[in-house]
Amino acid sequence: MVDKEAAPHVASIERLARGEDPAAGAPVGEIPGRGAGHTATKLLVYALLLALALLYFVPFVWSVSTSLKTIPESVQGFDLIPDNPTLEAYDEVLTEFNFARYAANSAFMATSVTLLNLFLCSLGGYAFARLRFPGREVLFMAVLATLMIPDQLRFVPVFQILSDFPHTSWNLDFPSVHYNLIGTYWGFILIQAVLATNLFLMRQYFLTIPKDFEEAAKLDGAGYFKTYWRVMLPLAGPALAAVTILTFQGMWNDFFWSLVILQNPDVYSLTVGLSSFIGQYKTLWPQLMAASVISIVPITVLFVAAQRYFIAGVTAAGVKG
Amino acid sequence: MAIAVAEKRRDSLGSAKVREAFVGYAFVILPLAFFFLFFIFPMVYAIYISRYDWGVLGPIDSIGFQNYRELYEDDLFLRGLRNVLVYTAFVVPGQMALGLLAAVVVNQKIHGRPFFRAAFYFPSLASSAAIVAIFIYLLNVNGLLNAILGTNITFFSDSDTALPSIMGLVIWTTSGTVMLFYLASLQSIPTDVYEAAAIDGSGPWRTFWKITFPLLKPGHFFVLVISIIGCLKVFDQMYIVSGGTGGPNYSTLTVVLYMYQTAISDLRWGYAATMGVVLFAVIFGLTLVQRLLFGRAEVS
Repeated sequence: MVDKEAAPHVASIERLARGEDPAAGAPVGEIPGRGAGHTATKLLVYALLLALALLYFVPFVWSVSTSLKTIPESVQGFDLIPDNPTLEAYDEVLTEFNFARYAANSAFMATSVTLLNLFLCSLGGYAFARLRFPGREVLFMAVLATLMIPDQLRFVPVFQILSDFPHTSWNLDFPSVHYNLIGTYWGFILIQAVLATNLFLMRQYFLTIPKDFEEAAKLDGAGYFKTYWRVMLPLAGPALAAVTILTFQGMWNDFFWSLVILQNPDVYSLTVGLSSFIGQYKTLWPQLMAASVISIVPITVLFVAAQRYFIAGVTAAGVKG
Repeated sequence: MAIAVAEKRRDSLGSAKVREAFVGYAFVILPLAFFFLFFIFPMVYAIYISRYDWGVLGPIDSIGFQNYRELYEDDLFLRGLRNVLVYTAFVVPGQMALGLLAAVVVNQKIHGRPFFRAAFYFPSLASSAAIVAIFIYLLNVNGLLNAILGTNITFFSDSDTALPSIMGLVIWTTSGTVMLFYLASLQSIPTDVYEAAAIDGSGPWRTFWKITFPLLKPGHFFVLVISIIGCLKVFDQMYIVSGGTGGPNYSTLTVVLYMYQTAISDLRWGYAATMGVVLFAVIFGLTLVQRLLFGRAEVS
């Protein structure tokens, strides 16, 4: 059904459903009868691993260290361990520089978008996978086609629609009340409420579930919605988890749409807050690093808690822009 | 009698089908309403307004392909395009090489594989804003990198070094994601191929170049297309580093950044939409090539 070489897409989620590691790779076996060469290879591999790990970790270690310093200490030298570790920078960033507000904004928007996607994409995905209705293929092709289109194409029209919602470019005066959703949470949430990747992932996953479950539910007299809600959703756990993580991370880290839509400091997301902080107070290093750490920590916690779903979701959906 | 039963059955079968169709529409109407309003309609609409001289107050004049012609002669757009192409030419091979290296190393039989894999993926977790903030700190005149090199280069505020610095930080950030794709691709290589190579006495270096690398071809292509598309759309890093200007001296201006400026600061919506359409044409073409060669999986 799915050409696995061509598309890591659903393959990784399927592996996940079977309880396997979604991107473990297949470790190359021991090479028999090559003792000396083998040891040398091992040493080389570990040396490479350590070098790479250092390369990836040092910047983060450094930013955490700096976030615990005072401003004078931060420009004095390069001690990794702060003389007098202090949380002052965090306190200042969260209160004076409003990052507590930005974090709450980001959390609210990311959670709302995630919940909307979970419900709407699983509902639509189920119908596209299982219910027969005229026009189903055409409609689904339309969804698929947008996966090949850069998000920036909808930038100007979306901006127009949101600044005068519902859009009035056709000179229709219905409804007569219009809202400017630029500078509000709602504009950001609305335009991401249904993401094509998620709809696609959910449909593909529902296709892999055997039909027996639904037939059993039908015999028990369950209606369509009940079958979806009580039978299919509980079976789609891995896909729902991947959608949750992918969407939450995408929204939490989003910059482009946040910048375009959240043009109001009250609703700034963490990323827009950081960008504006950089513009104004570039060299308050401890504060800047504290703000960065604040924006990275929640995603790190999510990653540690659900690494398998994370990796499956990323392999399934492609690199973020 | 028998005919009546058969007809009754066909009737109820027919009404069950109709019912299923209605339920189907009921299920997809809400998701598709959002989807058409905020994806399909805007995308079509963008192409429509790209043929107008369109400002905040609406269509001023239908000007055919004038916007496209202007784009062709717009020095700033061409500068942005050149920057993006240079950026793509360096970042794509960079992140592929580093990602492949990390994948192959993590794929060995070693202790702590999950740890190393997580470590290499870690930068991909953070937002572009946080990564840029960290690099602005590390690369500042009195920063760590300058201290190590014994120099005092102003990496982000010199027009010679700003773009290369951004390339470096992006390669560093995204290689973890590329590693994941390569790991998934490595999984599809059957182990007996390696065993055969080992019996033939092929060393690890030779095995990699003669067997692993060529067998990864679908993986290479997938990563290549996805990386190129990601690079062509680059915006966040340049916006944050330059405060939205694309400076110093337009050295970090990109196509999307110029489009943003045209729409948000200059309020020339029709012209900004034109840039979106051009970007779309290029990316759509690339994706189409990929789908035609490798993409039978989408419609199962």
